[in-house]
Amino acid sequence: QEFTFKLHQPLSANASAQVNMLEPWAKAVEENSGGRVKIEIFPSMTLGGRPPELIQQVRDGVVDLIWTVNGYTPGLFPRSEAFELPTVYKNDPVATNLAMHDMFESDLKEDYKGVEVMFLHVHAGQALQMRDKEVRSPGDTAGTKLRIPTRTGAWVIESLGAAPTAMPVPELPTALQKGVVDGALIPWEIIPPLKIQDQTEYQIELNNQERFGNTTFQVAMNQARWDSLPDDIKQAFRDASNRDWWAKVGEIWRKADDDGLKIAVDSGNTYIALSEEETETFRQAMAPVVDRWIEEVSDSGIDGAGLVEKARGLIAENAGAQ
Amino acid sequence: MALDLKLGRSGFPGAVAAAATLWALAGGMVLLAVVLINFFSVIGGVVWKPFPGDFELTEIGVAVAAFSFLPYTQITGANVTADIFTARASPRTIAAFTCLAALIAVLFAGFLTWRMYFGLLDQKAYNYTSAILQIPLWWGFVPILISLVLLALAAIVTFLENTRIFAGT
Amino acid sequence: MTDPITLGVIALIVLVALIAIRIPIAYAMILVGGIGVTMMDGPALMLSQLKTLAYGQFSIYDLSVVPMFVLMGALASRAGLSRALFRAANAWLGRMPGGTAMASIASCAGFGAVCGSSLATAVTMGRVALPELSRYKYSGALATGSLAAGGVLGILIPPSVVLIVYAVIVEASIVDMFAAALLPGILAVILFLLTIAIYVAINPKAGPAHGGVEPGEFREATIGVIPVLLIFGIVLGGIYAGLYTPTPAAAIGVVMVWLYGAVTRQIRIGELIESLKETASTTGMIYLILLGAEMMKIFMSRAGLPQATAEWIINSGHAPMTVMILLLVGLIALGCLMDSLSMILLVIPFFWPVLSELNGGIYQAADGAAFGMSTEDLKIWFGIIALIVVELGLITPPVGMNVFVISALAKDVPMSDTFKGVMPFFLAELVRVVLILLFPALTLWLPMLVRG
Ligand code: NA
Ligand code: NA
Repeated sequence: QEFTFKLHQPLSANASAQVNMLEPWAKAVEENSGGRVKIEIFPSMTLGGRPPELIQQVRDGVVDLIWTVNGYTPGLFPRSEAFELPTVYKNDPVATNLAMHDMFESDLKEDYKGVEVMFLHVHAGQALQMRDKEVRSPGDTAGTKLRIPTRTGAWVIESLGAAPTAMPVPELPTALQKGVVDGALIPWEIIPPLKIQDQTEYQIELNNQERFGNTTFQVAMNQARWDSLPDDIKQAFRDASNRDWWAKVGEIWRKADDDGLKIAVDSGNTYIALSEEETETFRQAMAPVVDRWIEEVSDSGIDGAGLVEKARGLIAENAGAQ
Repeated sequence: MALDLKLGRSGFPGAVAAAATLWALAGGMVLLAVVLINFFSVIGGVVWKPFPGDFELTEIGVAVAAFSFLPYTQITGANVTADIFTARASPRTIAAFTCLAALIAVLFAGFLTWRMYFGLLDQKAYNYTSAILQIPLWWGFVPILISLVLLALAAIVTFLENTRIFAGT
Repeated sequence: MTDPITLGVIALIVLVALIAIRIPIAYAMILVGGIGVTMMDGPALMLSQLKTLAYGQFSIYDLSVVPMFVLMGALASRAGLSRALFRAANAWLGRMPGGTAMASIASCAGFGAVCGSSLATAVTMGRVALPELSRYKYSGALATGSLAAGGVLGILIPPSVVLIVYAVIVEASIVDMFAAALLPGILAVILFLLTIAIYVAINPKAGPAHGGVEPGEFREATIGVIPVLLIFGIVLGGIYAGLYTPTPAAAIGVVMVWLYGAVTRQIRIGELIESLKETASTTGMIYLILLGAEMMKIFMSRAGLPQATAEWIINSGHAPMTVMILLLVGLIALGCLMDSLSMILLVIPFFWPVLSELNGGIYQAADGAAFGMSTEDLKIWFGIIALIVVELGLITPPVGMNVFVISALAKDVPMSDTFKGVMPFFLAELVRVVLILLFPALTLWLPMLVRG
């Protein structure tokens, strides 16, 4: 091969993200290039460092490509964070990925200095997975301890009157089982690898698969490496990462999420989809999170309100696009 | 004896040893602070609710403390070595090897100070913060750089002391 | 330019050579890792990565328990816990033949329950127990052998620094590892006690029985050990019961030992400062090794050595158990060269992927698994066996750190006697390894119970 790339990612080689997303994408790039490109995927941080260092590694060219969770480095991707907010992200990863795609050049690009973004995506959204407490209104979460997913996720938990608790992911099953936390804001997709079905009784989401916010992810290349590539190789990457692919990634994460929930339901857990009325009480409780975010990013000169409005509009426009 | 900061040295080595010891004790205080934060967070979690910043304060505090321990580790010769192959070597030979080790430590400490200074600039430029309390992470890099400079000085002391043994004076 | 695999192998040889000439293991790894990556991929890489690598390693949340348990151990050895433990154990066991040696083992086990290190346990208990053993006319070999072996319990009984590091490397839950270590740790105590019983049956002069203690002393000594049991119960019991995660548990332990020492007037400001200094040098040493191991790992991964080794072993077609035993023998051999922590850090990233792959991948369930257990269980089981094996190096020649420190304390006993005295315990350890290999439930039952 003329061009080899090291793609560094934090999860294990068997994780759905690698098997169902990164590997097919890498293969598509390789095929598009007529075999001139080779992408080696290094899972589980095998090239060293901790997950928060990934973005720095790709900026510095320590690795060529990364897949990372934007929330590992809070505050570094303020514009993209709009898509993590509850009531902005609702229930549709495909439409949300497409909205990010359509807003990328005009609104989000500034977040990604020093890297060339291949694609961005979200998962299917934070659901509420509770140990033994049935939740139907914000009053039910009041006084509970919930594991936080991201910094805005922590605000969501506060807005529901619960105590945000941080802990390493491997400790989550034990912490749930023993009641160190009463639940977690986390997608269904995490159920199989952590066997969350054994430690929880309730899988709860809002009406019509609406969730309590989300997390954004990126696959990005070192800028200098990108700039050095000939146009046909760039095109091979572009074609593999086109608008259809962003939509496809939404489907991949939706499917992984559905599979996770199925495991929980099959093992006898209670799945609760709240009614529209119940959902509305949650939306009202979480509304201050959006305001807080708008106010905070406006301190750094970002038009948060504009981003939220545009994101909501484009997500609605792209709904049902698949 | 308990408060021997200079670890039996005088002059420049004594000053470095005293600085490394005091700096390590300051780091020890940071560690004790982390211990107390975690302790009261658990108590808080039982009687009311946990303190959400305990996680990130632990990460930052332990990192700052651990770096502050490095000069003391160097000056007390506490880094693990395998002594089996050189068990019968003369003190002079061992001093020569120790000099080499100290030289590596000096170079590495200097190198890491230089690199982590740029690390600090990155943290600042990109505005890295902790998740909940939004503490700027570059703050932690300031004491860390001081620790690394002290580590280099401590290694220089080790080097000088062993050249003297090697030279037989 | 040589190919990466050759470069990787040369680097390993250079690493061994550097370690052999007394370059601290951490610096040897830093140097070889850094230069290796630079030779392979140019200087820009390490220059960039070192901007954040050290901070990233030092700020790993899971590792924050390490300095806390080190501090707890340092405070515990000054708080008079060791004396209380030995006094109670001797009151209970002392009147039997070999009883004071048994009491040394039992109190080492008790101290191991609050201390994460083997050497610290050997030294602390050695200071208390050696004079007593000598007063009761125990043979030098049995006395020092018991303490050198007993020290190992510091790391076999949770909390254990090496076990925490293992959990972080393989992404296991620290709680699971602590739960898994408990029964094998208790088994070690039982086997060590049996070893002493057999030893004095064969050689009664080595450990003469004595009259025991007054009933008053018996009660007082027994009551004196309650605070230790309480601390152990609250720290580890709390972890097992899931009241809190390991880091807060360690913090609670530090505060309790500190309070105990303050109340018994054993820990004043001077002792606190000494404890902090000890914590500083031990933690600094451990964290520098962590950084060195990470730099080695970066180089090795880039050279493709772990991947190539795994492929080679898996394609060699040996039975999984054969591979496991070969890996364990390799660990014992390395034990002559390296301390247990460096070994775990350097070797587990090579070994674990091989075993996990042989078993059928990381999501492999017990059904159809090559080792007859899920990969998640294998991770726990292998961790405990690896821990025992690397710790054997502490009591075997040529290095045998525990033997060295005990010899240093017992100046009148020649080191060869200590090595002789420790041999029966080494055999007991081999028996234990076999038992744990044959009966995985010894390791896996408690974590299963804790997980519910
Ligand atoms: Na222990
Ligand atoms: Na040894």
